[in-house]
Amino acid sequence: MDFKFGQKEQKLREDVRTFARRELSGRRVISGMEEESRDEDWEFTMQISKKLSQNGWLTMAWPKEYGGQDASHFEQHVYIDEASYWGIPGTTMGVSGIGWVGQSLMLFGSEEQRKKYIPSIAAGEPDGVWCTAYSEPNAGSDFANIQTKAIKNGDEYILNGQKIWTSCAHRARWCWIAVRTDPGAKKKQHGISLLILDMRSPGITIRPIVNYAGVHIFNELFFDNVKVPAANLVGTENRGWYHLMQSLAFERHSIAPQFCGIARRTLEHIVKNAREIRYNGAALAHNPVVRHKLAERALEIDTLKMFGYEITWKMSKGIIPIYEAARNKAYCDFVMQRLAVTGTEMIGAYSQVDMWSKWAKIMGNITRLYMMFPGIAIAGGTDEVQKNIVGQFKLGLPRAY
Amino acid sequence: MDFDFNEQQNMLKTMARDFLVKECTKARVRELEADRKGYDPAMWEKMVELGWLGLIFPEQYNGTGADYLDLVVLMEEMGRNVTPGPFFSTVALCSIPILKFGTGPQKAKYLTPIADGKSIWSLALTERSGRFEAGDIAASAEYDGKNYVINGEKWFVPFAHVADHMLVLCRTQKAASAEGGLTLFALKTGSRGVKIELIPTIAGDGQCRVRFKNVKAGRSDIIGKKGDGWKVISYMAQRATVLKCAEISGACQAVLEMTQAYAKERIQFDKPIGSFMAIQHKLVDMLTDVEGLQYLVYYAAWMLSAGMKADLCVSQAKAKANDVYQRTCIEGIKIHGAIGFTMDHDIGCYFRRVKSSEFTLGDSDLHLEKIAAGIGL
Repeated sequence: MDFKFGQKEQKLREDVRTFARRELSGRRVISGMEEESRDEDWEFTMQISKKLSQNGWLTMAWPKEYGGQDASHFEQHVYIDEASYWGIPGTTMGVSGIGWVGQSLMLFGSEEQRKKYIPSIAAGEPDGVWCTAYSEPNAGSDFANIQTKAIKNGDEYILNGQKIWTSCAHRARWCWIAVRTDPGAKKKQHGISLLILDMRSPGITIRPIVNYAGVHIFNELFFDNVKVPAANLVGTENRGWYHLMQSLAFERHSIAPQFCGIARRTLEHIVKNAREIRYNGAALAHNPVVRHKLAERALEIDTLKMFGYEITWKMSKGIIPIYEAARNKAYCDFVMQRLAVTGTEMIGAYSQVDMWSKWAKIMGNITRLYMMFPGIAIAGGTDEVQKNIVGQFKLGLPRAY
Repeated sequence: MDFDFNEQQNMLKTMARDFLVKECTKARVRELEADRKGYDPAMWEKMVELGWLGLIFPEQYNGTGADYLDLVVLMEEMGRNVTPGPFFSTVALCSIPILKFGTGPQKAKYLTPIADGKSIWSLALTERSGRFEAGDIAASAEYDGKNYVINGEKWFVPFAHVADHMLVLCRTQKAASAEGGLTLFALKTGSRGVKIELIPTIAGDGQCRVRFKNVKAGRSDIIGKKGDGWKVISYMAQRATVLKCAEISGACQAVLEMTQAYAKERIQFDKPIGSFMAIQHKLVDMLTDVEGLQYLVYYAAWMLSAGMKADLCVSQAKAKANDVYQRTCIEGIKIHGAIGFTMDHDIGCYFRRVKSSEFTLGDSDLHLEKIAAGIGL
């Protein structure tokens, strides 16, 4: 039993810290996917992505031949944790490309696809920005229910239908899309395929969906006879569901270190604030109720930290974490919710001040987290969906749905 | 980074599990709860033969020379099975401070009989408040020029009624802080002026009230230095707390497993109740609790064994353990339905021990306060 990182990881942590201090000094931390919203934030984000690539960090997990560093799972863990702690934007570049498109193409893409799409992701270029179109109005948690059709016509597919909740579509050069290629398949999981869609294709309409905090992350996509070359099929036609299950696992494993980093920083800010501000004649930090609440939050964050370590360690041993990733996603949402709510209680009435206002406490970060956490909790699968996965895969319980 | 036990630890774990399942059935646990002694001397003798009592002692005291982490592994298994008896008080509460702070002659005198199964120990620490706070210690030991004379009253003293020795924390001098001026003495439980009464507890787990009236102790009975008693207790408390947490963690794993199994076999509305999402999600929450606790315990144990400053993670482990043990039992019983509410069902053996575990070496309020201090509040 041993819970320490090696010297290589310690050095990496220091390097990321130095980078963050240099590149971000004085800037507000834009967490989650908020950097996709405002033009000036997005421009800054892409500058940072380029620098992260130059430092060899952006896609460090990938093999060297695809522009990666062959970095160990432990190095990735430390990088994600530390970058999230500092709120370095651009580590995900719209999430999809770095999050799963690259690795999925390495697993089941064609050699031609790998050569064409992977280098620009690894280089941190605007051409490497991807969005992912899975959800539809009637396919949320019941994702296999997608209806968007891609019907083969010679050497191209003709795409018709609608996607929704597509993050980053307004910034993306490419779209990783799940479509129905065999509408007659007996099971709804069959007949699904994965395509690469050029976002500049004629017939695509992007309609922004602004969230209740005024931030533009999501979009609605409409397809009207959009032509997609048959060469853009990823993997095997009608086997898309099974490819997707593998892709989704890539999405979930880094959740714990990512949110642990954000949570550690947020808690430090709350603690500092509690020591500085006075309440009823004494520092807020002296109030026993405050002390207990923050101690509980610290305990939850460190529990999440251990869950993150566990997954990283298992992956380092070649185990694919299925239930663990789902457990971490659900627990992470619980931790962030509790932290956000406690955070607002600590800054009191100031929690309602607009996050960009000069009067916002802690640079608006508490309000930002509070407004964003319900969306983060839904993205990538709801609490209920995650718990169903754990119940089925870990506890061996019969399917409930 | 490595979450795995080493080969020796895995062997110990398997051996302990096999032994306890066979020797310490839940029927036997229930009998021992009703038995005044609260433990089974024949089973104790076998545990001695397995080398458990002297597991972490050096060979010169007839020990095995194993690591603290090995003891954590053993405690987890003992908790999983519910193992009544004075093992925790003898090994964790008393041997650990003697090993660290005892003089050469004290170690030879006290540890060897423990390893040989000839001596049982108890710790007389808590007083009327029932809590683990230095400020609550009022028992006094005044020096009369020849001896220390101990007067006072201790509560929830584990297995004092079957122990031959105990450690007693007393106030020996005035000090600026509550933690100062305390001294730890090793005493025979049969000393003149010691009165021991068994407190009836829900788990029948041998907790006593011990009263001291002009009990004499010599200078050579002091463990550590005079006035340093709280330092000795704090050292012990960190290590013993994590051992208690390991025991709780093992217990929670067992409760989860029996509840999971029941949810798969119990049929209602023509389906196993484990196929209902309401039950599944409860079980998943229990799993998340139990795994989180397990890893926090391992982390704290590793920090201690690696000699790192562990105050924060020890308190995190105990606050988590208190919370998870209670919730796991309550949810487990509710999923079982009425059958879980019976004396014949094993789940009650675990639930009856929740409060004893919770208030051993600090409740959640105390540990949350320590965490608050640890994060800079």
